Amino acid sequence: MNKLIKRSFAALASLGLVAGALVVAAPAQAANVTIKVVTPNYTDAMPAYYKDLNARFMAANPTIKVEHENLSWDDILVKGRTYISTKSYPDVLNLNTFSEFAAEGLLYKNSDLYSEAKLADFVTAFRDNSTYNGVEYAVPDLASARMFFINKAVFYGAGNTKIPTTWAEVTAAAKKIKAKYGSKVYPLAIPLGSEEAQAEFQIWAGGNGGRYFNEKKSKWVINSKANLQTLNQLKAWVKAGYTQPNPASTNRTDAFKLFSQGKVAMINASVFFPSTLKDYKSKVDYGVAPFPSANSSKKPITLGVQDYFMAFKKTGNQDAVSKYLNFLFEGKNYAGFLKAAGGFIPATKSASSEVDSSLLPFIEQLPNAIFYPGTLGSWGAVTGKIQTQIGTGITKDAKTVLKSLQKAAVAAGTK
Amino acid sequence: MLKKSSAKNPKKLKVSHNVSLLSALPWIGPALVLIILVVIWPVIELVRISFTDISAAGSLLDFNGLTNYRDLFANPDLYPVASRTLLWVFGIVFFTVLLSLPLAQLINQNFPGRKYVRWALIVPWAASVVMTSMIWSWILDAYSGELNLTLTQLGLISEPVDWINNPGSSFYVLMWVAVFVSIPFTTFVLLAGLQSIPADIVEAASVDGASHWKIYRQIKFPLLRNSLLIATIINLINVFNSFPIIWIMTKGGPGYETDTTTTFAYKLAFIESNMGPSTALGVMNFIIIMIIVAFYLRATRATRTEI
Repeated sequence: MNKLIKRSFAALASLGLVAGALVVAAPAQAANVTIKVVTPNYTDAMPAYYKDLNARFMAANPTIKVEHENLSWDDILVKGRTYISTKSYPDVLNLNTFSEFAAEGLLYKNSDLYSEAKLADFVTAFRDNSTYNGVEYAVPDLASARMFFINKAVFYGAGNTKIPTTWAEVTAAAKKIKAKYGSKVYPLAIPLGSEEAQAEFQIWAGGNGGRYFNEKKSKWVINSKANLQTLNQLKAWVKAGYTQPNPASTNRTDAFKLFSQGKVAMINASVFFPSTLKDYKSKVDYGVAPFPSANSSKKPITLGVQDYFMAFKKTGNQDAVSKYLNFLFEGKNYAGFLKAAGGFIPATKSASSEVDSSLLPFIEQLPNAIFYPGTLGSWGAVTGKIQTQIGTGITKDAKTVLKSLQKAAVAAGTK
Repeated sequence: MLKKSSAKNPKKLKVSHNVSLLSALPWIGPALVLIILVVIWPVIELVRISFTDISAAGSLLDFNGLTNYRDLFANPDLYPVASRTLLWVFGIVFFTVLLSLPLAQLINQNFPGRKYVRWALIVPWAASVVMTSMIWSWILDAYSGELNLTLTQLGLISEPVDWINNPGSSFYVLMWVAVFVSIPFTTFVLLAGLQSIPADIVEAASVDGASHWKIYRQIKFPLLRNSLLIATIINLINVFNSFPIIWIMTKGGPGYETDTTTTFAYKLAFIESNMGPSTALGVMNFIIIMIIVAFYLRATRATRTEI
């Protein structure tokens, strides 16, 4: 079926080329360009935001027509890939990875699209994460960071006085909570289900100095000692009965729901979690603190995650996509984008100065942020495998699981 | 006793053979075009792609021979998944048939409200499998599912049981849902079989003093053979290809522990961006299906000549 669609797309595309050639051949006519913009639905406010943005953009640039497609995250991950494999590239794409497309030479360099002054406004750490082989091929659109959330009533009600900063303190706090509440509350939620297992594991491992990829040596280090210790620690908490049952099958959404119902005392959650709790009409009074690290000699970290805007190279679209992206990142337009996306950290310095105060603790953590090796073309494949497999380390031998992930990552390459 | 009709059939077939292919073309042409475009071409493309290198972003690169197949068979995760697929297919079909036989018998009896029982039985078949799977995952949900609620109220369990995610029960729960959605079709095929059994044979046997059980064992069951065969084979194909139940309830997880080859192929392609081996597995799945279809065609041919 895919192929069938592909062929018809190819046929359509070649028709389009012919049409394009005709337009070019027609003398002294301003070329009309249509660009296709494909974006994920961060929140349901996105379609309205783009409708307004695109209308204003087209009014200001009468020769450019914008076709916009807003997709759910699930859809965009599959459909985005289908667009690429059928060679019907969008012109502008907003996604959580860019490097696999940069690796195939499909993307414009940032220097082709933005002025240096414009680029300088992006937060440096995020900008550094947008390079492939040292060249910037995408711009960050927003970012998230994670912190440690506690249910205040349960946490302090069990006799704890201080939010844990080390694994040993987590254990001690969990013990108290379990003693007080028994099976009514899970002291700690560890969602290692496929939805976000790569993040859950990374934030715990990061506090022990563990990473998936060593940038300096340019090699995968999934089966490192630090990671093994981390997985074994998570396993120990599960074994002691401090967590929700079946962590390997618990998705982040499930864990968030349990927390919102007051059934979880401690959880790792992202910057948008407060707005999620509001959506769930949760009455839980929560506290936020830096994420606990392995021991007092290790510094606390947060996991930074960013998404990207990228533009695909097509004949005659460079000027249009450049105008479009610059328009989107203009002060007011970008502020609207952030508002519609709901509760994320801005990717530009100018927008960072006027954020909501609830974001401040997360932004303070950013200097300690570690990131996925998202600049590797193979990261997409490796992260998929980590998502489905790392949780099995809770029930199976942790070492074997990490070893097989390492093997798969090495096979996927370091490009 | 059924030979008479089989002698008639070839004559009829001969008549249709006299029509030349060319003059039939205008009638079957559109259907043929559709089949070639929608069925045959994708198969050819699938096989072609399976011999091609595919990038992580999904673009086709060069012809690379058997590499995709070698990668697939070198994957240690394939083998547990394959043997689980056997359990999945044969386990589900076995229990489906086992439960459908008495059910068909039941709804073949005359009793007040039979019509409604038949309707009720069709519902899981008429409903989309996606819907059924979601409803079952809600029923079985650990924290807010109806089953745990009921069991807790009856005092049978004190803590919620996570039916879908407990490693011990997970795969069997999925199999049960698959049996549940397979029963209606199977039961109705068997019912049709039961209704085609001539009443006079059964009557003659009971006049001769045969017990109910004996009539069932020695007359009805043997005459059900054809419906049973067809129901079994169609179920084999359906169950082997079944994707939504597993994907909606567990996504094949944790790890690959509830994957069958069908969900595994999807996972390889779209979660792990490992397109090459996935297309090879697609071809293998296709071959297995073709073998079952061949059995099906043989079985239906056998049926045609006998009845």
